[in-house]
Amino acid sequence: MQSITEIVNVTREVSWLPWAVQYFFLIGLSIGCFLLTLPWHLARRARWEGVARLALAGALTCGLAAPVALLADLHQPARFWRFYAHPNLGSWMAWGAFFIPAYLVGLFAYSWAVLRPELAEDAAARGRLAPLYRLMGGRPSRRLVRATAGLTGIGAALVLLYTGMEVAVVGARPLWNTPFLPVQFALTALAGAAGLVLVLQRLIGPRAAEAEAALNGVVALALGASLALGLAWFLLGLSGLSAVHAEALASVSGHRRWLLTAIWGVAATLAAVLIALVRPVGSGLVTGLVALHAAWMFRWTVFIGGQTVPKTGAGLYEYTLPLGPAGLAGIIGTAGLCVTILVVIDALLPPARGPGSTTATAERI
Amino acid sequence: MTATRRGLLAGLAGACAGTAASASTPAPDAGSGPRYGMVVDLAKCIGCQACTVSCIFENAVPPGSFRTIVSTYEVTLDDGPGHRRAGMAMLPRLCNHCAEPPCIPVCPVGATFQRPDGIVVVDGDVCVGCAYCVQACPYDARFINAETETADKCTFCAHRVDAGLLPACVESCVGGARIFGDLNDPDSTVSRLLAAGEAATLKPEAGTKPRVFYLGLDAALAGKVDGTPTLWRPESDPPPVAKHGRA
Repeated sequence: MQSITEIVNVTREVSWLPWAVQYFFLIGLSIGCFLLTLPWHLARRARWEGVARLALAGALTCGLAAPVALLADLHQPARFWRFYAHPNLGSWMAWGAFFIPAYLVGLFAYSWAVLRPELAEDAAARGRLAPLYRLMGGRPSRRLVRATAGLTGIGAALVLLYTGMEVAVVGARPLWNTPFLPVQFALTALAGAAGLVLVLQRLIGPRAAEAEAALNGVVALALGASLALGLAWFLLGLSGLSAVHAEALASVSGHRRWLLTAIWGVAATLAAVLIALVRPVGSGLVTGLVALHAAWMFRWTVFIGGQTVPKTGAGLYEYTLPLGPAGLAGIIGTAGLCVTILVVIDALLPPARGPGSTTATAERI
Repeated sequence: MTATRRGLLAGLAGACAGTAASASTPAPDAGSGPRYGMVVDLAKCIGCQACTVSCIFENAVPPGSFRTIVSTYEVTLDDGPGHRRAGMAMLPRLCNHCAEPPCIPVCPVGATFQRPDGIVVVDGDVCVGCAYCVQACPYDARFINAETETADKCTFCAHRVDAGLLPACVESCVGGARIFGDLNDPDSTVSRLLAAGEAATLKPEAGTKPRVFYLGLDAALAGKVDGTPTLWRPESDPPPVAKHGRA
């Protein structure tokens, strides 16, 4: 029998910092929230009316905060212009520099398109901002809404594609190098977005039972699908039917901390699915928080956890969350930025209106 | 001591995993310019880390970071009562300056590239510090330099090579374990060592075609090492039991 003890080796520091986790989390939430606005704005599904405004606020908030976190992960954010000066289009990350602005420009245009009637209606009450609101406002236009939703949808799909592929193509990290990863990112993003809107319902309202049930349905569906995909990932790895999955599983198996993470993740996700199914109304705060937790924890585990798996050395690298900008302060700072942006957006957006309002009636025409 | 290690590794080769499969030797191309590579004779490495230190001084590598290091392992063979042997195994690690480097295509701004002589370098004036190349390297050979905030790695001391000097690690190697030279020159020492057909590379399955070759590389050390993590690393988990046993 042979045994090896590592005597001298080097620990490689985590180089994709918690900023990266925040970016992938926020851009996923933004896209998920955008998708949650579509049932009302495109199909006029009545139960989604209460979701649309909060989801739009969530999409804008997270969409604006996400690139800040991404720039921070560059170690020196002002370098971002080099992405446009020297693009290497063979790299998925290079495409991201074009897809992110495309999505965000689309999102702003879509937001403007859906808010035009309400901006015009709200102008009189806006004091010094009234001219701006009158300028931005206008008659409802379903064609404009559809066109901008289509453009934003394409941008969103491209962002989901590049964020997933950028990580999945890294063959040097078996945990990342599986075709399931982009799908898992998308599913957990949708669940997290529904969770965010559920939490926003409680924080800034309005609360609507129909909307809460609809969102809980999304949470259950997205997290349920994510669990099923996770089970398939595990079984493919365990059985050895798929070499990349077997390698991915082998890279983390045998370590207690990974076992605990897996148990924690599955238990929390399963609990959220069950609560959302059994009590779709009245449980929104709990299911919302757990769905947000699932989306964030999945990314934390993949990025930070994944980087603690040595490529050549034995065991696992140690990672301790720094308290400064590259760690806890960065995470809290991003959250603070989100809250700030949300407060501003909530103040600037026309107030929520009931189903009988002029705008709501006009939009139904 | 060297003989002991040779004996141990020879024993490992016979009883356990065996030496790593020989790498396909790159065909010298005398018509083109030089293609630099390195051969590391593991039997000559004593793990003194002179290469590690000289690299740090030559390239101003920040504290806590390493462009090269000699990974050191204690390997124990236990074939029952009275048949327990232990020895040290050294494995100098550095950028492999691969013929198919996975770090280059992922760079979003083309900051990392391969020179005509095969040396993979990073243009610090273009690098954005995104660390994508750090993730893509299968050998953990790259890192973000804490002072420049850009990707950093071994360059075979390209500035010295361009001046007709040897890389600092080669020049400082006490045992002469690191041999550097032109793979395109059939008469170079590295070409002659490779011609014997006994050199192996790390992680050949990664398809990167490394241009750092090892003589006497044990298969158990050629990939991700399955063993007890380094002793001085604070580890909250109980170390996983290394399983190399073959009845």
